[in-house]
Amino acid sequence: MYDLSSVLETEAVSEVRPGTSILIAGPAMTGKESLAMEILAEGSRNDDGALVVSTSDSAETIVEDYRDRVAGVNNLQLGVVDCRAEGSGGGLADGDTPPGLYVHKVSSPGDLTGIGIGITKCLEALHGAGAEEGRMALISLSTMLTYTNRETVFKFCHVLSSRLDAAGYIGVFTIDSGAHDDQTLQVIKQAFDGLIEVRDGEAGREARVMGLTDGPTDWTDL
Amino acid sequence: MTDSAAPVVLIVEDEPDVAETYNLWLADDYEVRIAGDGDEGLDKLDEEVDVVLLDRMMPGLSGDEVLERIRERELGCRVAMVTAVEPDFDILEMGFDAYLSKPIRSEELIETVEKLLERSTYDRLLQKYYALVEKQATLETAKSGAELAESDEYAQLQNRIADLQDGLSQTMGGVEDDADFITAIQQIGGSEDT
Repeated sequence: MYDLSSVLETEAVSEVRPGTSILIAGPAMTGKESLAMEILAEGSRNDDGALVVSTSDSAETIVEDYRDRVAGVNNLQLGVVDCRAEGSGGGLADGDTPPGLYVHKVSSPGDLTGIGIGITKCLEALHGAGAEEGRMALISLSTMLTYTNRETVFKFCHVLSSRLDAAGYIGVFTIDSGAHDDQTLQVIKQAFDGLIEVRDGEAGREARVMGLTDGPTDWTDL
Repeated sequence: MTDSAAPVVLIVEDEPDVAETYNLWLADDYEVRIAGDGDEGLDKLDEEVDVVLLDRMMPGLSGDEVLERIRERELGCRVAMVTAVEPDFDILEMGFDAYLSKPIRSEELIETVEKLLERSTYDRLLQKYYALVEKQATLETAKSGAELAESDEYAQLQNRIADLQDGLSQTMGGVEDDADFITAIQQIGGSEDT
C-alpha cells in the first residue's frame, strides 16, 4: 500500500492500492504539478522508484528540480521521459547518465508510441535497480490533449494504468480543468481510479479526493 | 477441420516446407491460408483474416513492404513478423503487432496467434468502453444530479460500463508484457497523428 497522507492530509489516501491511477485536476496555477512531484518525492524518501513523464520541462530541468526536492536521499532512482525533446540538443542524452538516473527523450507529446517505449525502458531500469515499488507522474494530460484527441488520450491513460497495475506502481496525472470542456473532463476522469481536485480557496490552496473512498472528502488545506 | 467461425490465419512464407509446418500446427483450430510470396499474400488478404504471419525476408516484396500495404488498406488484422534474428522494441514502431524469431516452436506460434486474437478482443472492448464513457459524459454534463438519479438510461449505462471494465481487466492481452504494452498504445495512437 502507498501512503500519500503526509502529502495530502486525509485518510482517503493513507492506503492507496498498488496499481491505482489518480487524476489531479484543477485550474491553472493551483499547484497540481507541485502536488504530483511531492507525491513522487515522498516515495523517493522511502526508496520507491520515481518516474516523471513531462510534456513541458526538459529532462535537465526535471532532474535538477527533483534533486533539490529530495535533497539528502541516497540511492535516488529516477526515470524521466522528456516528451518535448524536439530540437533540444546536448545535456542528458539516452544512456549518457549517472547511476540511478534513466532518461528517455521523445520527439513530441503526440508521439504516444515513443512515450510508451520511454516508460517501458524506464520501468525496466527502475525494476532492474531493485525499485519494486514506485510512483509515476505524467505532467500534463492537457498538453497531450492539444496534440491528439480525447479518445486517444483516454485510451492511452487506460492502457498505461493497466501497465502500472502490472508493475505494482501508482500513477498521478495532471490536467488543467480550465483548458477543456466539461465533456472532455468527464471522459478523461473515467480513465482513472481516483481524482484529486485542487483549487485556490479563500484561505489558500485546498484539495479534495474523490473515487478512492465512498463519496468525496471535504476540502482540506494543501 | 475448418468451420466458418474459426479465426483466419494467413501464412506468408516463401519456403513451402516451413509454411506447411505452420499449417500443421494451426489447422486444428484455425482456418489457414498459405501464400508463397508477398504479392500472393496481398491477394489472399481480406476482411476475414484475423492474423497474418509474415516472413520478413522474401524474394520479391519484402515483409516490410507487405506490411506497409496491409496498413494502407486499413484492415483490422494483426501482423506477426517472422525474422531470422530477434529484433529490439524499435521494430514495433514499424507497425508489427508481434515478432517471432526463427526457428519457431509450435507452442510459441500458437501462443502468439492466441495473444494477437486476445489483443483484438481487448481493442474492441476498449473501443466499446470509450463509446459508452462518451455517452455517460454527455448525460452527466447535460443533466443535474437529481435527473441522473432518476434516469433508467443512466443506470443501465453505468451497469454496462462496469461490465466492460470487468471484461477489460480480464482481457489483459493488451499489456501482458512490454511488447504488448507498446503495441496496445500503437493501436490507440490511430492514424490521426501520423
